[in-house]
Amino acid sequence: MSEPFLNIRGIRKTFGSFTAVRDVTMDIAQGEFMTFLGPSGSGKSTTLYILAGFQDPSGGDIFLDGRSLLATPSHRRNIGMVFQRYTLFPHLTVGENVAFPLRIRRRPQAEIAERVRAALKLVRLEGFEDRKPANMSGGQQQRVALARALVYNPPVLLMDEPLSALDKKLREEIQFEIRRIHQETGVTILYVTHDQEEALRLSDRIAVFSQGEIDQIGTGPELYAAPATRFVAEFIGDSNFIETSIVSTDGRQARLVLPGGAMIDGVPLHGAASPGGRAALLLRPERIDLQRGEGEGALAGEVYDVTFLGNNVHVLVGMNDVAPVSVRIPFGHAALAGLTPGERVSLRFNAADTHAFLEPPAA
Amino acid sequence: MLLDFDKLGALRGVLIGITVAVCLFLILPIVFIAALSFGSSQWLIFPPPSWTFRWYHDLFADPRWFYAALTSLKIAAIVTVLSVVIGFLTALGLNRGRFPGRDALRALFLTPMILPVVVLAVALYALFLKLGLAGTTFAFVVAHLLIALPFSIISIGNALEGFDKSIEDAAILCGASPWEARLRVTVPAISHGIFAAAVFSFLASWDEVVLAIFMASPTLQTLPVKIWTTLRQDLTPVIAAASTLLIAFTILLMILAALVRKGPKT
Ligand SMILES: Nc1ncnc2c1ncn2[C@@H]1O[C@H](COP(=O)(O)OP(=O)(O)O)[C@@H](O)[C@H]1O
Ligand SMILES: [Mg+2]
Repeated sequence: MSEPFLNIRGIRKTFGSFTAVRDVTMDIAQGEFMTFLGPSGSGKSTTLYILAGFQDPSGGDIFLDGRSLLATPSHRRNIGMVFQRYTLFPHLTVGENVAFPLRIRRRPQAEIAERVRAALKLVRLEGFEDRKPANMSGGQQQRVALARALVYNPPVLLMDEPLSALDKKLREEIQFEIRRIHQETGVTILYVTHDQEEALRLSDRIAVFSQGEIDQIGTGPELYAAPATRFVAEFIGDSNFIETSIVSTDGRQARLVLPGGAMIDGVPLHGAASPGGRAALLLRPERIDLQRGEGEGALAGEVYDVTFLGNNVHVLVGMNDVAPVSVRIPFGHAALAGLTPGERVSLRFNAADTHAFLEPPAA
Repeated sequence: MLLDFDKLGALRGVLIGITVAVCLFLILPIVFIAALSFGSSQWLIFPPPSWTFRWYHDLFADPRWFYAALTSLKIAAIVTVLSVVIGFLTALGLNRGRFPGRDALRALFLTPMILPVVVLAVALYALFLKLGLAGTTFAFVVAHLLIALPFSIISIGNALEGFDKSIEDAAILCGASPWEARLRVTVPAISHGIFAAAVFSFLASWDEVVLAIFMASPTLQTLPVKIWTTLRQDLTPVIAAASTLLIAFTILLMILAALVRKGPKT
């Protein structure tokens, strides 16, 4: 990221007294696949629409190749976009839809024909030129929309939950296509989704949105291994949270007391905490070692439920005064043989695999 | 379904009877007029003693009828164009705009539909008289535009309601300026609504008589006004012939509109 390519600087958007987006800042490298991930209403689309020029930010700036985009109207930004809803022009054929941006740019006829063919080939819809959008499936329509958005070689492609209306199998199929197209064209993509799997599958980096703010930006593995907030930890991967209290801390790590009295030292701590405060301890279900009987584990409990999930098995362990903890164990693991609800088990984990997030003081 | 037609039993016969009666009630006057226009009787006797094209011959032989029809066509055409253009802009503003009083404004635009036409006619006549515009084509067009516009605003507004604005946004990101996007994408996509607006606007002006009587001058008469004034002088079957042509043209337009409106759904 030596060259400045796309820089979003302190973007803010308010609707009346409501702040939909606050202080969104990020640098995106040329050719990068950046995903905005977050729940519905967290400000992802609004940020994308500001980039597209459909909304003016209440503050902040956006630079593309070092120049501010804000003064340029949408139609001169030369940005591509695929929308959440189907937006093919209903009165035009597929070929005419894809040709539209080039017609607007008054390109010569021969060039248009050539580039439309190439764009449809890119999305694997050769031979569909004369179809009307109404006679195509949702997945095909979104692929045509993708061809239309790429046919004029925009430096940046925006995608706002383009697959949310499709069923799971088709979604995965097109995710794969999008990955391939990203690699083939090298276009910089800003992608919005609320689906963590989709984000992890597609992205170079992910920006996690929560209530109009970015909680963390990083690669999938970074977000999974070192979540900056409890929200990110909950959103990426599966998670258990256990209430603990802080015994001591050196600012970066903490010693905690678990429910049941066991101590755990060296837990990475997020947020400035003082001894006596409360912290939520993140335990990943697949990072817990389950032992049968009353072992020397940090937590002890009783098996509530055992669920077979294909390549792994989900064990729900209930404890006194704590929400049940889920544990994921690879199928065929020795600890599973004959495991039945009601059995006593103990849970062990490495402090380095866990994270503690500061809780607000109890009301 | 609560009322299943097949299970109504004896009521079915009653329903069919009522439907036929209503249809006859609506259609008979038209059939009657059409029959009279081909009848040989000078005194509009029904049933006609024999059949003739004489009244149509008389109609076409009299240039005043031809000019009245031409005036009707001209005014209806101007009203149609203005009504569709202004109706599109108004509907766009009402559909896209986010401003206080939008619903009140929408209601205001539709008042000509519920206001008694005579009231409107008297008011407009007084106004144009004061402005020295009474009896001009301009006044005529303005008067008919007032009653045609609500039809345009409603049918184009409904079409816009069903049109996803994201499609227009997509065209803008493709490089089209906002107005280019509206003209090249939105307008074709809602063409059925625009066509309906055009037909209704044309018809609103074409067979309108109350406003027309107030706006007309001896040299500026639409077909309905000509029928009205002729009727007051003498009762000739030529009127039946003119009326039949007027109705035929109207029915033709309605059929055309119905065909086009069916179009986009298939
Ligand atoms: N035009 C608008 N007027 C008022 N509030 C809006 C508008 N657009 C978006 N919002 C609000 O801003 C928040 C963020 O919306 P959005 O960016 O669409 O979220 P996301 O795409 O992450 O689901 C939501 O609470 C939404 O209700
Ligand atoms: Mg959204």
